[in-house]
Amino acid sequence: MTTDITLIGQGQTKFGELWSKSIRDLMEEATDAAISSSPCTALDIDLIIVSNMLAEVTSGQAHLAAIASALLPHHPPAIRVESACGSGAFALHTACAMLESGRAKNVLVIGVEKMTDVSVDTVASALMGAADSEQERPAGLTFPGIFGLIAQRYMHEYGLTRDDLSLVSAVHHRNACKNPFAQFRSEISPDAVTKSSMISDPLRLLDCSPISDGAAAVILSSEHSSPIRIAASQIASDSLSIVARPTLTSFSATKDAAERALQEAEIKLQDINVLETHDCFSIAAVINLEDLGFCDPGEGIQVYKNLFEGKPTGFGVNMSGGLKGCGHPVAATGIKQLIDVAKNLQATNQRYGLAHNFGGAAATCGVHILEHSPSS
Amino acid sequence: MTTPPILHRQNAKRSKKLQDGTVLSWTTMSHPLEGFGNRPRTVGLIELEDGSRTLGQLLGTPMIGQRVRPRMVLSSVNVEGLRTYDVAYEALVTVPSAIERKEFPGYILALTGPSGVGKTTVSRMLVKMFGHVESVPILTTRERRDGDDGEYKYVSKEKFTEFLKKGEIIAFAHLPSSTEERWYGYRKEDIQKIWKRGNLPVVITEMHLLRGIAEHYGRRSILSFGLLPPGKSKRAMLSALLHRLRLRGRETEEHLKDRLANAAKDLEFFRERADLFDRILVNDDLQTVVETVRQHVPGLAK
Repeated sequence: MTTDITLIGQGQTKFGELWSKSIRDLMEEATDAAISSSPCTALDIDLIIVSNMLAEVTSGQAHLAAIASALLPHHPPAIRVESACGSGAFALHTACAMLESGRAKNVLVIGVEKMTDVSVDTVASALMGAADSEQERPAGLTFPGIFGLIAQRYMHEYGLTRDDLSLVSAVHHRNACKNPFAQFRSEISPDAVTKSSMISDPLRLLDCSPISDGAAAVILSSEHSSPIRIAASQIASDSLSIVARPTLTSFSATKDAAERALQEAEIKLQDINVLETHDCFSIAAVINLEDLGFCDPGEGIQVYKNLFEGKPTGFGVNMSGGLKGCGHPVAATGIKQLIDVAKNLQATNQRYGLAHNFGGAAATCGVHILEHSPSS
Repeated sequence: MTTPPILHRQNAKRSKKLQDGTVLSWTTMSHPLEGFGNRPRTVGLIELEDGSRTLGQLLGTPMIGQRVRPRMVLSSVNVEGLRTYDVAYEALVTVPSAIERKEFPGYILALTGPSGVGKTTVSRMLVKMFGHVESVPILTTRERRDGDDGEYKYVSKEKFTEFLKKGEIIAFAHLPSSTEERWYGYRKEDIQKIWKRGNLPVVITEMHLLRGIAEHYGRRSILSFGLLPPGKSKRAMLSALLHRLRLRGRETEEHLKDRLANAAKDLEFFRERADLFDRILVNDDLQTVVETVRQHVPGLAK
């Protein structure tokens, strides 16, 4: 980073089926919480970045930047950023770029998604906008279908068993119990995952993150100091369609973004104490650990075996409950991850945390590294 | 949303998808995208012969590494009622050698139809009436049940997979159900033994098995009869089947549900793959069915 950027404010709504709240209500609730937790006032915000993917389809609402701007009394300039489920990370990256360029000093980044107002068919179809509309969609694929293809191939290549894969959601649900903002605050057994209804072979219902409403907001600043600093903000891309990729069992965008982020933060992977990864489906959680470099290809499940059995892993994974336990209002997820990493670093008094957020089948990916310095 | 212009562009590229290929991965979605029907849909990532990759609907039992062949099918119907046909890929059974496939090995009498239609009864009658007709045992991984009457050979799933890998099974069907995982197949050895004795093997098949046998020995080797339950509509046919299955009393209600779901697919198969049948008979009178089969099978007519 060419400028010191700090995280000075954070807030979020509970994630879940929030029928009584509009997209504006969600943005307002998260924004109010973020501003009241920060050392600045609403009038100090000189730019807003809004992260959203689906509002046109699910709420009939475009032009979210104007709504966001009107949340504050002085109507600061606002921009909307979209990169499917990775919108949050891309909004954060845009905010960092604005701060580094000097065009803004205090940027409010809001991630919001309102998904439960429409039918599941409508959401499934809208989410397919994150895949290739001339490759995946004409085949009738849904996102569970795409990750079903990925999981099937992974099992074939590495011998991952159905019972082992079920440990992933069990771990995430257990973590979500401690998170007051999580959609599912209940433990589930691996057996319940294995026996849940089939969604897209071999993925079952409890392998899939849910459809959720929610918003999360952070304030990034180049003006105010804070114990949490953004040590790295990197984004990367891959081909949109899985058809054009050489492998299904690894996401190159994750590898690229993570490698660059570690370089930017000037740390080693072993320095990371906590991480939030994009576990939209349980198989993604396994692949993410391998692509981020925490284990060799085919070994990701071993981390979850250790986590499930309470054995030491050297780093915490999705302590918030991840997308599976917390819920996945798609464009809010990347912002929420940053909040959870920051909270975790402060609660455990550790130094480095990593947030990994991707869009589609990791066609886009953003990795942020946070540094916690208690003395600041 | 797949718009007409997108479909138009797809059509222009369709000829590139009309190649044999290999399944790299597959999944069966319980709820496919809107417009693609309400039934589970199996989609595969296929590596085509020219090295390119594509996504397409998979017909038949999916398996990674399986060879597939393209076939046009009705793919989707949009909200305006526009029917879209697209390339789907049909799974082929692993064939040990091309030469073996081209040779005419002998006739196989195949009786195809949904559960409860009376295939086993017709087969037993034929075996009883004609000395040189022999039924081929079905290899299965399912549990032995009361009422099974020697038509099955029971093997473990590991053994079944081993046979499959060695190419000893010429046709197989994988029928996952809500209660168990079932594999069925016919062993080459069992059929060849019957031929060696100079007899006519009779097999009881469903869509996957019939397709597999036709692929392995060639269509002309099969004297293929489809058996339909009585009834003017699909609903009436399924109702007749349910009645028969309940009377048979071999299955739990859970199994009956699975069987009925598979039966609905079987009925569809008669329409889709009429080319695989010589005659389609309605089994409302056993004697008439046996007589019709007798008249159309060489060596039985006299």
